[in-house]
Amino acid sequence: MKILRTVLAVCLSLLPLQAQAGIMYLGGYPNVLILFDETSGTVTKRVPLASGLPTALRESVDRKKIYVSTITTSGMETYDVATGKVTDSFSLNTPTLRYRIYGGVPDPTGRYFYTVAQRIDKEIDRYKISKPQYTVIDLKLKKVIRAVDVATEDDTPGAAYRSAYAISPDGKFFYIFRDKVIVVSTAELKAIERFDLSKPEISGFENVNFGGGVEAIRNPGQYISLFNAADPYVHNKVFGIARFDLASRQFNFVPIGPAPSTMAGLQVTPDGKEGYTVVTNGTLGNKRCEFWRFDLGTNKVLDKAEFPCRSRFQLGMSGDGSKLYIYGASFDIEVYDAKTLKLEKTWDIGNDATMAGLIVSQ
Amino acid sequence: MKHLRPLNKKAVQIEQAQVEHARMEQAGSMLEEDVVALQQQPRPHVPMGCSLAFSPGWEVDAGGGTAGLCQPVERDIYDCYVTCFWPVQVPDHVNYSPDWASNCAVATKDWRNLDLVFP
Repeated sequence: MKILRTVLAVCLSLLPLQAQAGIMYLGGYPNVLILFDETSGTVTKRVPLASGLPTALRESVDRKKIYVSTITTSGMETYDVATGKVTDSFSLNTPTLRYRIYGGVPDPTGRYFYTVAQRIDKEIDRYKISKPQYTVIDLKLKKVIRAVDVATEDDTPGAAYRSAYAISPDGKFFYIFRDKVIVVSTAELKAIERFDLSKPEISGFENVNFGGGVEAIRNPGQYISLFNAADPYVHNKVFGIARFDLASRQFNFVPIGPAPSTMAGLQVTPDGKEGYTVVTNGTLGNKRCEFWRFDLGTNKVLDKAEFPCRSRFQLGMSGDGSKLYIYGASFDIEVYDAKTLKLEKTWDIGNDATMAGLIVSQ
Repeated sequence: MKHLRPLNKKAVQIEQAQVEHARMEQAGSMLEEDVVALQQQPRPHVPMGCSLAFSPGWEVDAGGGTAGLCQPVERDIYDCYVTCFWPVQVPDHVNYSPDWASNCAVATKDWRNLDLVFP
């Protein structure tokens, strides 16, 4: 009996972890964080966000917290996965000061949040708008503590809006993936290195914008994604898979083929063996979308399948890597089987999804 | 300008900008803050604002047709409201109408609950 009670206690203590597995987190209009159970296909919870509309979601390195950036008041909310509560919520805006934040990434300690932001000061007779700045938000002090202007050569219009971010495991380097890869020193907030690899153009100008968790970073020390590269003479664009070692700033780029019109980022299975993306060719009425499946060991395309896609969408993946999700620009999620690349079902999440992306707890 | 002297901070800034302008012209460097055409290289600093969103409205897509629009078009309402596309057709979430979506979680289903907003 004693042994049975002990075994039962151990099983019960594991339950909270098991209950969290297979939970999707999405931003929803007007101001909620939606928790959606992958197994049952239902919304389990809607968490209201005091600081407004969520535009970016980011998991902490230890996956115990989710950081939500909001646009209404330029706020930051911290959601604790285990307790299911918002443990912290604050806004950076004041009556005379506003920030425009475009996603970001927390440092490994969870104290600081690195992002690219613009500052708007309301002065007595005008608004003064800063250039884009590498910005550090102190999550404990609840304010911006450092901001340095982005270098002139990196100040490309709209770049911050469409960037993805990563940070090295030791917190020393902040990576920005956009039309090139910029490595920023977190100590000085200055670009120390630039790589000539660009994120592919994405359909409908969203997807990895706002730093949303479209590309699940399975290994905190490594960033794997699809990139475009071009030769310096003919500027012929090819796409390939690049693996960045975030600690050493080294990367390995393997070209695969000519760059298509747009690609929806790379979703990697939990075992790291396969990756998926959506490739679109053509525009407007001639647009065609295909799932592409990659073998990440050999860096080859294994399979392709055309599917009817919406004009704007985001690509996600289930926690176990067996399903692909097409969501965004409305309230539904289309679920495709990752092996057959065929549509299985459609879920209704009850709120329009924002462009914050999707995080799946594991 | 040599007979005028600045009285307030804004005027001092204008004078300093002119001095900087003259210095950069002499140095031959590209003028960061001058008025330049958008297609010039290197690219100018594009100020923040919705007035530079030249994407057409919901009636037509960039090609003049409707195939590139979201289907139905109500799928596009909220993301445009937040990110400043088609600014004339939808209210501005960030500056003036933060609560416009509060009555309607799914625009495609409940767009009739959305308020009209008069600028």
